[in-house]
Amino acid sequence: METLWLSGLAQYQHAADNWFAAILIAVIATTVLVSIAITRSGASLYIRRIPGLDAIDEAIGRSTEMGRPVTMIPGMTAFGVVAVQALTIFKYITKQIARFATPMRLLTGDATVYAVAQEAIQDAYNEAGRPDLYDPDAIRFLSDRQFAFASGVAGLIQRERVAANFMFGEFFAESLIFAETGNIVGAIQVAGTISFTQVPFFVAACDYTIIGDEFYATSAYLSREPVLLGSLVGQDIAKLLFVLIAITGAVLTSIFGADAPVVKLLGQPGGWDAFFGGGQ
Amino acid sequence: MQTRGPSIWERMLSIDRRILYLLLFANIVLFLLLPIRMRAAVSPPVQKFYDEIEKLQPGDLVMISSNWSASTLAENQPQLEAVIRHLMRKKAKFTLISVEAQSRDISYRLASRLTPEGGYEYGRDWAHFGFVTNLIVSIKGMVNNLPDTIKKDVRGTPVSELPLLKGITSLRQYKMIIDVTPSATVPFWISYAPKETKILYCPTSVMAAEAYTFLDSGQIKGMITGAKGAQEYEQLLGIVGLGTRFVNAISFSHVLIILFIFLGNLALFMNRRQMRQEG
Amino acid sequence: MWQIQNPNTPTGQLILWMIVLGAFIMIMGLVPLLHALPPRGRRAIIVIITFITGLFFATEFFLPINKEQKNFLTDAIQPAQQAVQVITALALGLGTYGLVRLHLRNVVQRRTQWGYSLVLLISFVVMATFSIANTLSEQGLVEKTPLLEQGFKLLFDYTLVQLDAAMFSLIAFYIFSAAYRAFRIRSVEAGILMFTAIVVMIGVVPLGATISPYLPGVANWILTSLNAPVQRAIEFGVGIGGLAMAIRLWLSLERGVT
Repeated sequence: METLWLSGLAQYQHAADNWFAAILIAVIATTVLVSIAITRSGASLYIRRIPGLDAIDEAIGRSTEMGRPVTMIPGMTAFGVVAVQALTIFKYITKQIARFATPMRLLTGDATVYAVAQEAIQDAYNEAGRPDLYDPDAIRFLSDRQFAFASGVAGLIQRERVAANFMFGEFFAESLIFAETGNIVGAIQVAGTISFTQVPFFVAACDYTIIGDEFYATSAYLSREPVLLGSLVGQDIAKLLFVLIAITGAVLTSIFGADAPVVKLLGQPGGWDAFFGGGQ
Repeated sequence: MQTRGPSIWERMLSIDRRILYLLLFANIVLFLLLPIRMRAAVSPPVQKFYDEIEKLQPGDLVMISSNWSASTLAENQPQLEAVIRHLMRKKAKFTLISVEAQSRDISYRLASRLTPEGGYEYGRDWAHFGFVTNLIVSIKGMVNNLPDTIKKDVRGTPVSELPLLKGITSLRQYKMIIDVTPSATVPFWISYAPKETKILYCPTSVMAAEAYTFLDSGQIKGMITGAKGAQEYEQLLGIVGLGTRFVNAISFSHVLIILFIFLGNLALFMNRRQMRQEG
Repeated sequence: MWQIQNPNTPTGQLILWMIVLGAFIMIMGLVPLLHALPPRGRRAIIVIITFITGLFFATEFFLPINKEQKNFLTDAIQPAQQAVQVITALALGLGTYGLVRLHLRNVVQRRTQWGYSLVLLISFVVMATFSIANTLSEQGLVEKTPLLEQGFKLLFDYTLVQLDAAMFSLIAFYIFSAAYRAFRIRSVEAGILMFTAIVVMIGVVPLGATISPYLPGVANWILTSLNAPVQRAIEFGVGIGGLAMAIRLWLSLERGVT
């Protein structure tokens, strides 16, 4: 079988489309794994304060005092790493809630997330030593249509006058409908999202907003598990690597122009081929 | 002791949001009806979009990915209408594809209504591939074997039998992909479509901010930003479409919001001053 | 190698049915096995399945490809993604069951606001009936009666479509009230933010060009030279965070929700 080390026909369907990008992924993965191993062996690490996460306990306390429910919304997030991270955060919140027997609702627009959320929330109550508090009806799949889901969430927030609203995951145009409805009923709101375009809406309508990769740092911040803290260190090193590549790219582009093979090597499908002249 | 009632500034700060909603509603209705026409400065992404379509030759094939439904009609319909009209002017042929049933129905009906204007005939000049459930799998499939992936068009005709697609076996033979969408579908086209096929993008205004990085990198060749971008495009085409009709309401809603932001800040300032004076 | 050769021949059909039956027996056997195992054993099975699945996709991506853009695993990607779609469809069934069960209970037990649940159940049944009947009529399996045609039009065009549009329109009103409340100059940074927002809001609409020919250019400069780089930086962080999380899940290094 003849092997092409670069196809150049399609974009990033395989590592061979640009080996530089593939090597970069492998380097980041190794960096993260090495950092986890070092942290596991006992290195102590500092993680900066994230006010929005400190507010979670305060919001739960307020809900308990008022006897009103807490809502947790992963939005329309499809099942994947973002949903798993959101559910990990909701699991932590549920464990806190279980101590005070505060009612909760988890509302999702993705059926797969719903199935996993049922397991995760039940686990959280078990781990908190309160399996009796688990109510399967508290985890709800409302609709997979964006605005039917949005109206369902807004209706529930209004009817049950929730006291705390946590929104973590990927959000689209429905974000402001959730956040503003929560604001109308006077709920304390904490949002965390990787969706760049929805950040302004959350900032305007929520009490605290967790932006970008802070979303992925949340579980490390809450649990202080060495694996997660180590992973954060690896991510920071990877970010430094990206900064170096960006600076190198800017300098090389300024000197040699955007079409120079060395510039294409840094991040364009076919760049490896252009640089090594075929590479077969 | 008699207590002082809330001052006008305090009342302004805690204004009932229903008053704001009513004002905005009245503002939108008024400026939708008023026949004012303002010329826009065409933004660079819209100009690039226009220039790319201008480069098309008669008979070139374009794929339109239309993924919007009724909810974002006000933003996406003016875009799709303007784009189809421009394609017809250039005598370019096109096929439509959607990711869900409602967007399929809406885009099929819209194209069926517009195409007679350009003398376009279904099957010969344009076709609709219906909707696909998994866009990534479908794009990959269309790159390898388009007729096998799509199988039948929206009318149930095998796509290999459509005169429009005679000799077309892969997405690589398309000159251009235009994604008209309110959701994050464009990264899928960027990632999996053939790199020699140009990608143009028609997002809703709120999604546009995310696309500037793709525009910079050249992964997207041009962009029409929501209804206001459609108005700029209609201006370039010299037509009056939905974008032109909507843009006054959008412009003056922005003005109303800015006015109230100023009033809110004035109320905050005056209230603080009053409180300081009262000790 | 991953596709059944000649699926329409009797041998092809037999192989197809044997695969379907085998998969059914395997899954049916796996469910009680997972329930019977202690948590530790259950976790071990999940760890192994997660690792193998992740390894499959990673290997397919990293292995060199031939002239047809394929390696020996590429043809298996499409069936694997179709399997994911099957799981999604099953989960959708589960979600719908949960929704109907909850609202049925609300109605039967006359819980607070059970009227809303009744509306939901009636809408659910009516919409599902007309949608399924309409799909069947499009395929020529049932007759398209005037009742079906008009009923579907009423439910789809005149109800669902309008409700969808109304919900999206709400955002404009919410933006207004949120902006009025949030854009207060409480610090220098908030002042800069507000000024920038106003320039962009006016600059991107035709009114901006009417006020000053320079405004659209300034707004475009803010979008491309300030907004885009910041966004790119955030996206790098998000991408790296997602990659790190994916590695931890693949190697089952964190407990998370499993």
